[in-house]
Amino acid sequence: MDEDILTTLKILIIGESGVGKSSLLLRFTEDNFDPEQTLTIGVDFKTKKLTIDGNTVKLAIWDTAGQERFRTLTPSYYRDAQGAILVFDVSNHASFAKLETWLNELDTYSTKSNIVKMIVGNKIDVKNREVSREEAMKFARKHQTLYIEASAKTRDGVQTAFEELVQKVIQTPALWESYAGDNIHIGEKGHPPQSGCGSYCSLV
Amino acid sequence: MADVLTETVLPEDLKRFEKIYHEQLYKNDVTPKAQFEYAWCLVRSKYPADIQKGIVLLEELYKTHEEGHRDYLYYLAIGTARLKEYSKALNYVRSFLAIEPGNQQVITLQQTIKKKMEKEGLVGMAMAGGVVLAVGAIVGVGMAIAHKVKS
Ligand SMILES: Nc1nc2c(ncn2[C@@H]2O[C@H](COP(=O)(O)OP(=O)(O)O)[C@@H](O)[C@H]2O)c(=O)[nH]1
Ligand SMILES: [Mg+2]
Repeated sequence: MDEDILTTLKILIIGESGVGKSSLLLRFTEDNFDPEQTLTIGVDFKTKKLTIDGNTVKLAIWDTAGQERFRTLTPSYYRDAQGAILVFDVSNHASFAKLETWLNELDTYSTKSNIVKMIVGNKIDVKNREVSREEAMKFARKHQTLYIEASAKTRDGVQTAFEELVQKVIQTPALWESYAGDNIHIGEKGHPPQSGCGSYCSLV
Repeated sequence: MADVLTETVLPEDLKRFEKIYHEQLYKNDVTPKAQFEYAWCLVRSKYPADIQKGIVLLEELYKTHEEGHRDYLYYLAIGTARLKEYSKALNYVRSFLAIEPGNQQVITLQQTIKKKMEKEGLVGMAMAGGVVLAVGAIVGVGMAIAHKVKS
């Protein structure tokens, strides 16, 4: 069933409450938008298959609630993640200023030092922009992360954001080859390792 | 790959929040926050006894702390589903959706629970799988013998 899947990747979405994390996820997984998107409880989870350069990967995406009352426990979901999307709202400068805190938290709790990070400036459809593209790009460069502008509402940039992040993860085999429990294959570019979970795992 | 029903809490996280809860319990002053955080860890434990304990704490919160109703219902659904009490879990999901129809997170959870039920409901398939395994074992023995003969 899953034979053609290169690997499964764990991706995190973090950032302040209300910036559009769940909306980006809904747009990406179901190509849908809900103007009355409800507040996430604790941590949400969705999966999606994505094919990039002929490689199909399964994404396990963990969408965290940015709300204060969940903050003590959400970092416990960071471990083993290979990619992280840090979201802010371009019409809300405070949400951008908080990125520093989110990056620190990610560095503290992620178990993979080379985790791929992407900053997404969301809600570019909104008129009163408070964070310019230049300011955000400068910040991203300083922290060595990818940067993309998006709108979950109009679907601008959403697919690209996930694709670029996943592409970068795939290009960093150390992130996922060992995850598949198959260290021997590291460096053997010609032989993509078997997924750690063959068709049998799903039956357990 | 772990999902909401199979990922587990780190033992040190569970211990940390257990300690906070018990300190407050000792002073007879348990905050809903401490109780919720401890329960959230418990329902993610790999031990059914912990999950059961988490469910009791969440039920208590549900009765006494209206503000967090949706959080408690959500984790009650997860806890009971992890104990394979699927009809209970789906009841919690239904109560949630009665208040907030169309909540994507809870609809996804409902689908995850139903998929799990389907998988576990396929007893016939699992047994057929067992037969295949047995045949595989015989073939394995045959190959081992063949190997011996050769050498
Ligand atoms: N105009 C606009 N609104 C958005 C966009 N993305 C999310 N929203 C709205 O912003 C609010 C918060 O979104 P949500 O996804 O719940 O944020 P989260 O707390 O980060 O998960 C909701 O009312 C969404 O409908 C966007 O790209 N453009
Ligand atoms: Mg959300």
